[in-house]
Parts: sequence; structure tokens; C-alpha cells
Amino acid sequence: MTTPLWRRAVLSIAMLALAAVVAVPLYYVLANTLKTQGEMVATPLGLPTSPVFSNYAEVLSDPRIYRSFANTLYVTVASVLLQLAVGALAAYAMVVRTSRFNRILASVLLIGFVVPGQSTLIPLYRTLVGFRLVDDLNGLVLLYLGGSIFCYFLVQGYIRTLPYELIEAARLDGAGDVQIFGRIVLPLIKPILVTVGIFQTMWVWNDFLLPTVIISSPEKRTIVLQVYNAVTEFTTNWPVFMTVSVVALVPMVVFFVFTQRHIASGLLAGSVKG
Amino acid sequence: MKRRSRLAGLAAVAASAALALTACSGGGSGDPEGVTTITFLSWTGEEQMEQVIDAFEEDHPEVRVEASYAPPVAEYIQALQTRVLSGTAPDVFVIAAENKTNLIEGGHVLDLSGEDFVEGVEPFNLETYGRDGKYYGLSLSSWAAGYIYNKDLLAQVGYETVPETWDEFLEMCQKLQDAGITPFLESVDQMPTTVSAWIGAKNAEMEPSLDDQIFDGESTFAEQWTPALEQYNRVFEEGLMSKDVVGLDGDQVSAEFANGRVAVINGGPWFIASLREANPDLDFQFSLVPAMDESGTPFAAGAAAPGYAINAKSDEAKQEAAKTFLGWLAEPEAVELFQSLTNDVTVTDDFEPPVDPSFEPMVEPIRNGQLYLPMIAWQRAEDVLNVEAVAQIQRMIRGEVQPEQVAKALDTKLAAS
Amino acid sequence: MSATTTLRQPALVPGGSGRSWLSRPSGGWRQTTVNKAFLLPAIVVFVLLFVIPLAQTLWWSFTDFTGYSPEASFVGLANYRVIMTDPSMLAGLGFTLLFGVGTTIAITLLAIPLAVQLNKAFVGRNLVRSIWFFPAIPSMAILGLVWRYILSPLDSGVLNTALATVGVGPLGWLSDPTLARLSVILVGVWGATGWHAVLYTAYLQSIPHEYYEVAKIDGASARQQFFGITLPLLTPAIVISTFLLMTGGLKVFDLPYTLTNGGPGFSTYTITQSIVVSGVGQGRYGLASALAVLFTVAVAALSFGQLALTRYVERRFV
Repeated sequence: MTTPLWRRAVLSIAMLALAAVVAVPLYYVLANTLKTQGEMVATPLGLPTSPVFSNYAEVLSDPRIYRSFANTLYVTVASVLLQLAVGALAAYAMVVRTSRFNRILASVLLIGFVVPGQSTLIPLYRTLVGFRLVDDLNGLVLLYLGGSIFCYFLVQGYIRTLPYELIEAARLDGAGDVQIFGRIVLPLIKPILVTVGIFQTMWVWNDFLLPTVIISSPEKRTIVLQVYNAVTEFTTNWPVFMTVSVVALVPMVVFFVFTQRHIASGLLAGSVKG
Repeated sequence: MKRRSRLAGLAAVAASAALALTACSGGGSGDPEGVTTITFLSWTGEEQMEQVIDAFEEDHPEVRVEASYAPPVAEYIQALQTRVLSGTAPDVFVIAAENKTNLIEGGHVLDLSGEDFVEGVEPFNLETYGRDGKYYGLSLSSWAAGYIYNKDLLAQVGYETVPETWDEFLEMCQKLQDAGITPFLESVDQMPTTVSAWIGAKNAEMEPSLDDQIFDGESTFAEQWTPALEQYNRVFEEGLMSKDVVGLDGDQVSAEFANGRVAVINGGPWFIASLREANPDLDFQFSLVPAMDESGTPFAAGAAAPGYAINAKSDEAKQEAAKTFLGWLAEPEAVELFQSLTNDVTVTDDFEPPVDPSFEPMVEPIRNGQLYLPMIAWQRAEDVLNVEAVAQIQRMIRGEVQPEQVAKALDTKLAAS
Repeated sequence: MSATTTLRQPALVPGGSGRSWLSRPSGGWRQTTVNKAFLLPAIVVFVLLFVIPLAQTLWWSFTDFTGYSPEASFVGLANYRVIMTDPSMLAGLGFTLLFGVGTTIAITLLAIPLAVQLNKAFVGRNLVRSIWFFPAIPSMAILGLVWRYILSPLDSGVLNTALATVGVGPLGWLSDPTLARLSVILVGVWGATGWHAVLYTAYLQSIPHEYYEVAKIDGASARQQFFGITLPLLTPAIVISTFLLMTGGLKVFDLPYTLTNGGPGFSTYTITQSIVVSGVGQGRYGLASALAVLFTVAVAALSFGQLALTRYVERRFV
């Protein structure tokens, strides 16, 4: 288990250098939030000569941004938890029973990945009209449930890599599907649930297309709609636009930093023993 | 265990926040006695439009405007389209080049031609969103694009302004290039300003109009467009403009200009504020696009801003309130307020919009409707033709096709639509 | 070599026991009912959000639907005929395929080694992991703008300035058709590699540490460990990741749209851009629907074919 120190150092330096290159565009985004529109036009890629914080002041002084944060939080938490639940249940059911029905269903569900989203927007909107969920945050939650298929697909792949004997043993002990799923499978698939949770959180938090079409009341706006509010036909105040984006992303950054350790901490080894 | 409860707690907080929000927003639906609420999907950003609406509601307490916003262009068109189709369209919305054909043909918009408030508005703007003598959109301003030139750089080769013909313009570019100055950059991520202006100049002298002839089948793109494309291609063939412009957008071109690295660019009023801010010492001026040949006149690319339209399917009381709103928007005080917030050049006859001195040369064409933009003048398949034209012009610039082939490709597209 | 053979023995490899997952006999009616109950929510979601909209699109593809008025009349196969006869409807086909295949291969080749490195302990690991992942977050509108400045064909572009210091360029990154295609793919790879590396990292957790311990005792080198343990056991992840990359890549819209708007010429034009231009921009929803139907079928054929292939490789490997 002991890697020589120098090798770790080399790895650190190499990985940090590579990451620095990858981060260049992100640096430009951040640098421009500290500029005025004019300075950005003059030196789009330079460091801000005298950093201005007025963009941040302007963005954070608008009370609407806090309301849109609350809306987005509700939509994201509700829809991601539901997606994970629907997806994980289906994945478990599909893997433990390979009836003909299930095998066909497994292939059919994958069609969910190949439909171009742009072409189903109008039918989806009409479905929401039918449910009276237009201009309603719950309507958004409903549409994001489409992501359940994505969850299902990733989780089923993961369950297949787990040692089957664990479930076999539980079944011999007389446990039903509900207990096996809750007590044995759920703890084991935590890394993939967290991963998928992160992916879906990013998607829902950042999605622009569905909220633009579904939400019309200003007080129901999601944070990304609030961001795009700064866009007008010809001139976009890019520094402000970038600032709102950065502010909108801060919760995502925090979320990722706090959840990522759950993805990679060797959970399986511990769980198998326990 | 601990972790799970934290997550559950988070969900509970979010859920209760949402409940609170629904509770708040639920209260607004019932109108008090004598007040009519109309819904409005705004094209103009919230920051500006909100102030306009506030002023309106102060003048007209009997009408309440419930505004929502979608960023132009594609997202707005998409949002409006889904709502129109599903019968949830707002009472007032915006008719634009991209949706006018469908809105008018589908009977979704109310004819405004008899209303008092259209009287002082420039006919060019009304006709842009009209058909067969009927007006469907109240368009109160226009935009124009031409050339922007750096006075100091031009002075170095002995010019005070951009010449009036293309030959002379290319001659000037040559002198600039000889002096080690990049003469001209025109972003070709969209229809080039130069081409739009030339076709517009030609159209202005034709009766029936150039596009009437093309779309009626009396003429072709090959016949009408080829000369302009050939002239335009000279600037590339003679090496006076880099072929790299096919990969540039307006933001990049204006950044080069702000830094004094190029003498002339294409552009519109939306660059003024950021150019002034980026480089306060920059001495620049707008000009019309030089005439294609001796017989022509300099012209501008541009179009009427999208117009306010009233939903033909709304009930009568809402439509009356909507008319009150539109009528107010056309009043000089409202136009002045709107102009001060957006810097748009307005086209009502009872208010003279102040403009930046550098933009002076463009004001007359705007107020008189001497503007042209192919995509808006075209009578059908606008988007498809525009995508095709831009792509083919880029290929022409790169030397992959001849000007005539570009025009013929448009004829083929039109025939297929 | 002995280490590798030992490790490939099914009894030790969890992926190997996956076979028993596949050969589950069906149980009694109670278990069947529970099983169906578990599947029910996913089926409801699928029917509501995918089957119904797709059926609607299919119906519209046979009509002259404009997208504005619900009335539409049946026109038979007219829309399909337009697509077949108008070559520019399919102008985006070449680049769409190139992007789908190109990004799938490049990202897979980069993300797996990256995930393995990111799984090791080193100073600044969390930072590096976050940086790789973040390109997936900000909106394409902003990233497109920033990348347009970086890849600007002018001398003042970031990349060209950097290249000038070593005496190369300036190159027309976004103005030369070949370089423009390359640039779009490059930005696509930049944007998604970290995301897929995170996915692989999660799967790395399902490989028990003991395997590596045994391999080390047997004297296997890092390289042998990678090809003998890590790669074979990651095949389920590869199947999933490449499937996602392929379907996502073929459906790409935002990235080329904001970076090059399909240009120069049609060199980075995509099929989805055709669908959006004719459907949303033009109100020819029937035509756009027909194109969407054909496209869905084509993407399905391609990605299911690719899925079958990777699954076949998976079975041979494990």
C-alpha cells in the first residue's frame, strides 16, 4: 500500500499541471466577472487591471435571485430523489429477474436515450397542459423524471458487477425483495447512486430549455432563467451574465466538493465484510 | 444514518419553501372590481420592461400587466410557439421575423390597422409585420448596421470618411494595407452587412420589389444576387480582408476594433456603449455601406424591431385592455422612456430620439425605413434560406464555390420549400 | 503472467459472477408481483415522457403540422420525400457521425487512465478532480464565447498567441473547415472527459482491493495490474459510458451551434441543427418531425449496434 513519496510528488505535479491547462477557460470566465463590459472588450483575456466587484454587487443585491435559488433547490432535490428512486428500483427488479418481459423492456427503455430532446418538446408541453402543470414547478419535476431512465441504466450496470452471492444468501435466509433491496443492495450501490445523483443534479440545476418553455411567472423562475434574463437581443452584458452564472454555480461547486468523496472511498470493501 | 437524515432535512426545507411560494403566488388571480389583467410575454429584458410597465400601470390603474420574459431570439420563438399551440398564449406578445408568417396565417394575431395608435408610426415598420394592408404588429423602433471606421487610422492614409463606392473603398483598403494597417474585418457568422445593404439598395429602386419578383418566380436569386456576390468576393480575392472572417463573430470583431487593430468593421448601435467604455480615446464614426457601383447609392442593413401583437383568441375585454397598453406604448412619453432605457432608435413621428453623435449618419435611413435585411424581406422559408446563404457565402470566401453557385443554391432551396 | 491468469478466474472476479445474475430462474407469483411493482414507476415514466411524445412526433411526420395551429392535415410520406430529395437536409450527416464517433473514442481513451490516476492518493486530488468535472457545469453560451476567444483565427487569439511564441501559426482554428471540425471535437472532449472519469471512478470502487493485493504479492507490475484487473473489470462501465457518449454525441446541438454555428460552410453542421431550423425556425413541424423520426431510428440502430458490440467484448473479456 505504500507508494514511494517521490512517485506521489511526480503524480501530484503532473496532475496539477494538466488540470491547470483544463482550467484555462474557467479562469477566463472568472476573470471576466471582475471586469466592466468595456474592459472585457478591450482585454477579453487579460487579468482584470483593477478588479471591480460591482458585477457581484449588482447580482447579489437583486432579491429575485434568492427566490430563484429556492425554486431551483426545490425542483432539483425533488426531481433527483425521485429519479434515483424510480431508477434504482427498476434496475434492481430488472437484474434479479430475467423474464422475457424484463428482457424486452430492458431494450425498449434504451430508446429513451436516442430520442432527440428538441423534437419532443411540444408533445411534452401538451402533456403538462393536460395535467394542469404548466407554469408550475411540479410540472418541471415531472418532466425531469425522464432522467429516471438514465439512472436505471447506470445503476443496473453497477448492480451487475456486485457479488451475487450476497443476495443469494439473503434469499436463503428468507428475505423478500423489499428487504434485500433496502438492506443489502442499497448500501452497496451507494457510489453509483451518489455519482448519478451528482450528474442529475448538475443537469436539472443547469437546464435551460424546459424552464424557458414551462415557466412564465417571474416568481417561479429557476436560477438559470434568472441568468438568461440578462440577455437581450443584440447586446449581452457579458461580465454581468458571467457573474450571475458563477453565482448560480457556487452551490453546485460546494455540492460537488462535498459529495465527491462518497464516490471514491473504497466503500465496497467495507460493505462486503460487514 | 446521520448522513441520510441530513439529506432528508434538506428535502424537507426545499419542499416547505416551495409550498410557501405556491401559497404566495396563488393569491394573484382574482382581479379587483374594474381592473383587467392582461398577460404579456416580453422580448425586451426585464430590467427595462419592468420600468415601462410600472409607468403604464400608474397612468392606467384599470389595467394590470402580468409580464413574463424569454430571451430573444430562438428561446422566445420556442416559448411563444408552444404556448400558442396549446391555447395558453399571452394576451400581448411579440411578432418577429421568425414567427410572423405562422402567426398571421394561423389567425393568431389581431389586425391593428384601424387603431389610432398606428397613425404616427413609420409605415415601413408596420408593413414589416403586416400583410394585404393589415397591420399585425406595433413596431416602434428599428435598427441599422453599416460600417464603423476608426477616424485616426483613416486619416493616416488621407481619408476623412469611408468613400461612397465599393471601388473607392477597396482602393482605400489597399492604401491602409500598404501602410501596415489591417483595413477591414466583417464578421461572416451571419449574413454580411455589405451584402444585405447592396441587395437593399437594389430593391429600393425596383418595382415590383426584388423579393416579390423572386418569390413570384419572375426572377431568380442567380439573376439578382450574383453581381453583388461577385463584387463582395473581390475584397477576398484581392487579399484585402482575411478569409478567417468566416470564423469570427461580432464580439471578436468589435474587440479588435476597440483596440485599434483594424480600421473598418461592420456593426450596429449595440457596439457603441462598449466601444466607448473599452477605449474612451477611440475616435470612431458610423457610415452607410458604400454603393456597389457608380449608379447605386450607399445603403444600410437593418430592420424594424419586432412588433407588439394582440392575441386574436383572447376575450374582448382583454383585447380592449391590450389595445390600451399598445396605445400607451406609442405615446411620445412612453416612447421617450423606452428609448432612454434601451437606446433604440424609435420611429414615431412625435418624438425625436437622441442618438450618439457617431451614429448620426444612420438615423435618417432608420426613421425613413430605408433599410433591408434579406431574412425579413423574404416571403417564406426565411430561416432555411438564411442558413443556406450564410453557409454558402462562407464557402465562397474560402474559395470552394463561385458567387454564381451561391445564388443558385438559394434558388434550389427556394424551389424545394 | 501467473498473476493475471489467477485474476481472470471467474470465482474471484465479481464481474464473472455476473453470469449468475443473468441465469436467475423466475420465482413464485408473490415475487413476480413485487418485481412488477418495482418496475411500474419506470414504465409509467417511460410511457408518459417518451412513448407518447414519440408517437405524437411520428403522427406529425405524416402531416403538414406548422407547430402553431393544432389542425394539421395528413400528407402521407410527403415529408419523407422532401428529406430524401433535398440533399442539404442531410448536410449535417457527415459531421454528426464524425463527432459521435470521434468524441466517443477520444473521451474513452482519456477518461479511463484519468479515473485510475484520480483514484490514487496525491496532493491536491480533490482540486484536480473538481477541475476536470467543472467544464460540465457552466452554460454552453458562456463556454462557447470563451472558447471562441481562445480559438480565434486572428493573431490575437489565445491559442495563436501561444503558438506564435514557438514560431507556429497563426492557424484558422474556427475558419478552416478541417480545423473547425477538430476544434469542435476538442472542446467536446474537454467538456465531457472529466464527467466520464467520475463515472469510471465510481465503478473502480466495485473492484475489491484484495485483487490488487494478491497481484502485488504475485509481483504484477502496474501495467499488468491495469490490463489484467482494472480494464477487464471496467468493461461494464465502458459499455455504459460509450453508449452514453455515442447517443449524446450523435444528438449534439448546443456546442457546434454556439462555437461555429455550423460553419464554415456546412463543415460543422449537425442533423439536430437541421431539425431545429426547420421545426422551430421555420414552422415546418411536420418536416422536422419526419427528420426527427428518421434520426431517432438511425441513432438507435447505430448505438444499439455499438452496445451489442461492447457487450460482446464484455462477455469475451470476463
